Amino acid sequence: MKKNSFYLLVAAVAFIEVGIFWWSVESASPLPSLVAVLFGIAFVYVARMYIDEVVIDERAEKIIGITSLRTLQITWIGLFLFALWVVIEALNEELNNYNRRVGIVGFRLMAILCGIILLYVILSLYYDRKFGAS
Amino acid sequence: MNNRIKVFRAINNLTQEDLAREIGVTRQTILALENRQYDPSLLLAARIARYFGKRIDEIFIIEDEEEPDTRRNKK
Repeated sequence: MKKNSFYLLVAAVAFIEVGIFWWSVESASPLPSLVAVLFGIAFVYVARMYIDEVVIDERAEKIIGITSLRTLQITWIGLFLFALWVVIEALNEELNNYNRRVGIVGFRLMAILCGIILLYVILSLYYDRKFGAS
Repeated sequence: MNNRIKVFRAINNLTQEDLAREIGVTRQTILALENRQYDPSLLLAARIARYFGKRIDEIFIIEDEEEPDTRRNKK
């Protein structure tokens, strides 16, 4: 398969996903949408193996690695600042039901961000061992 | 790190696309190597050297190594 054919296939999958999402909303059932996303990702992943041309080489992998890390760092800092702002705003106001809910959302977001750090540490330990650390 | 990929590619009458296909990388990688914007891994350097039938140090030159040679020539 040519690289451009693969991109057309990805676009077709994206259109189908949007259609299923629409149908999911109409039928008020999130399950088809979730299953479709999982199948779509698996389909694109398998289809990528059948591209004749080289798409991912060591330079592309390096670019993906650095880009992913920077995206994670920027997103983490941005979301943490947002969560901090939300929590402080919620606690500063008179504590009514709305503010309590907003504060809980902020705290939950902070907990998710801490979870991301934990996941990062676990994965970095795993890859550290995989690539030679005793 | 400097390299002579462009020279050996010209000697062998290859386009960037041809070399990329033979080595198993993208054309952009060959372009980046020739423009010295990307340093290859040892594996890729070895693959390129083997393709041209040369040693790695005949194709890839570490900049610091170039200086002593220049100084020797000046003497």
